Amino acid sequence: MDERNGSLGSDPDLQAEGSQLSSDPEMLELRAEAAAGHEGQEIQADAAAALEQKRQRRYLVKALLRSPTFMVGMVIVVFWIIMGAFSVYFTQSPTAQDALSSLQGPSASHWFGTDDLGRDVFARTMAGARTVLIIAPLATVLALVWGGIIGLVAGFWRGLTDEIIMRLVDVLLALPIIITSILILSLLGKGTAIIIVTIGALFTPVVSRTIRSAVIGEREREYVMAARLRGERSAFVMTREILPNITQPIIVEGTIRLGYAVFTAATLSFLGFGLVPPSSDWGLTIATQRVFLQIAPWTVLFPALALASLVVGVNLITDGLGRVFSK
Amino acid sequence: MLRLIGRRLLLMVPTLILASILIFALAEVLPGDVGRSILGPYATQEQVELLNERLGADRPIYVRYAAWAGGFVTGDWGDSLLLKVPVFPTVMKALGNSLVLAGFALVLIVPTSVLLGVFSGLRRDSALDRTITVSTLSMTVIPEFVSGVVLLYVFAVWLKWLPVTAMPPDGSPFVSRFYYLILPAIPLMFLELGYIARMARVGTAQVLAMPYIRTAVLKGLPRRRVIFGHVLRNAMVPTVTVIGSQVGWLIGGLVVIETLFVYPGIGKLMVDAAQTHDLPMLEAAVLMVAILYMLSNLMADIVVALLNPRIRAGG
Repeated sequence: MDERNGSLGSDPDLQAEGSQLSSDPEMLELRAEAAAGHEGQEIQADAAAALEQKRQRRYLVKALLRSPTFMVGMVIVVFWIIMGAFSVYFTQSPTAQDALSSLQGPSASHWFGTDDLGRDVFARTMAGARTVLIIAPLATVLALVWGGIIGLVAGFWRGLTDEIIMRLVDVLLALPIIITSILILSLLGKGTAIIIVTIGALFTPVVSRTIRSAVIGEREREYVMAARLRGERSAFVMTREILPNITQPIIVEGTIRLGYAVFTAATLSFLGFGLVPPSSDWGLTIATQRVFLQIAPWTVLFPALALASLVVGVNLITDGLGRVFSK
Repeated sequence: MLRLIGRRLLLMVPTLILASILIFALAEVLPGDVGRSILGPYATQEQVELLNERLGADRPIYVRYAAWAGGFVTGDWGDSLLLKVPVFPTVMKALGNSLVLAGFALVLIVPTSVLLGVFSGLRRDSALDRTITVSTLSMTVIPEFVSGVVLLYVFAVWLKWLPVTAMPPDGSPFVSRFYYLILPAIPLMFLELGYIARMARVGTAQVLAMPYIRTAVLKGLPRRRVIFGHVLRNAMVPTVTVIGSQVGWLIGGLVVIETLFVYPGIGKLMVDAAQTHDLPMLEAAVLMVAILYMLSNLMADIVVALLNPRIRAGG
């Protein structure tokens, strides 16, 4: 919100300045000749660039709000975030067992029916959003941080470092992700933290590849040259100069990975390498209730539809973002 | 062409060695004590040491790797810790089952997705195009076990058109297996549908914009012949490329679908071996899958080279 105010307030200034400059071509030439490194000139150029960036950002936000794909995805994902966080306060208990009313069909008292232990499927479906919405975003953030560091270093330094890192990435990608994660999780045991780190680590190579190519696209630009000629340290150039200029590919990569992270986390808990009962996690629930598909399909179908809607929602966001950014 | 294949095969060797080291390291070095990771926290120290000695896990790490890798190459894959059967025939039998399922799924995937993609490419930006694109992409992003249980419910439980199990009873003719594999194959098809159909769509649109298509239309060739003779053939190149790159997903899909349908393939074998800490079985199965994965990527490259004269000549 304050971002919008800030750029709105300064817009007229910029326009006034622009018209003044263009109305006086002689003056402009003189100024241009009067040395490129002139202090005031540089600051002005910086300010103009910052304004341009703000304007662009405001345009992007507007375009996103107008994109039906993005907004539908947002509504779905926000719905599940709210359910994951707060549903336990207004539904029945997702873990309370009631042996007398097991495997009952949907009714007024149990909207989605009950499972084999008499637990309320509606409460479990709503609360089931929690685990996947904790695991997937954290794993994505880890992958972005690690992949970001590796990609920046490999793309910026090139040479032997780049060569070694990229060969390692190739080897890590030589195995399908789901297989490597089964291998790791079967040996490290179960638990939310282990899954987050595993998915984060396994997504790192792909992320680093994307960020590396984005960095390579930037490193020959003038501003990077200028910073290096100023004698800035590599770490400074990477984090303060290049990083801000590759935020768009990073955001797009992040949302793509988030979709895959939801997919992977759900799959791992379905395969039995993620969480343990009585967690109401969707993947785990589908795996444990699958045997009742013929006599009590509601125990499986509702979590399945919930998971499907979340995955589609995340992918709609990705799609919307990608389209707006590529315009 | 032969040189291209030879070079690619040679390039596979170092990657494969590194991958085998990775698998070995993950399975045997990471957990620290092999015997402990197999027996679990409740075994006594003596039991753990005894098992380590029997497995040879008390030897230095490079000796163990050399013994394992050497055994793998010569076909001596050891015995399963849990089932007490030789690993090699068990893995091969499971692999055969998986290949039947994967092959059947591929047979469904290719024509379906190419057809859908070409349809939407021919009518770009129409309602049909949008419907096909959105629905195939949704099918692709939804986890295969989710689409699997929904299909299982609709076609096996509710409509009762198809069997609930994935294997026919013993003694049935081989052909009847495919009837039982229809339900497991469809979620696998969904997994690939979005990407492949999208590629076929883009390929079709690109070909349609080419001058030679305009020539073909203007010289009065019937629409059907333009589509079958020119468009379909040239739109296949990007499609085949993407099919090759999707093999990793297909393998992941096999793991999940075989678990869901309790189908005795290599994916189910890996999951079971991982859950019971059956290390010889797990390592052999994973390495075998890695080899197949690389080989299928190579095969996709070769097919692309065969379809594209420029690469073929340059090879």
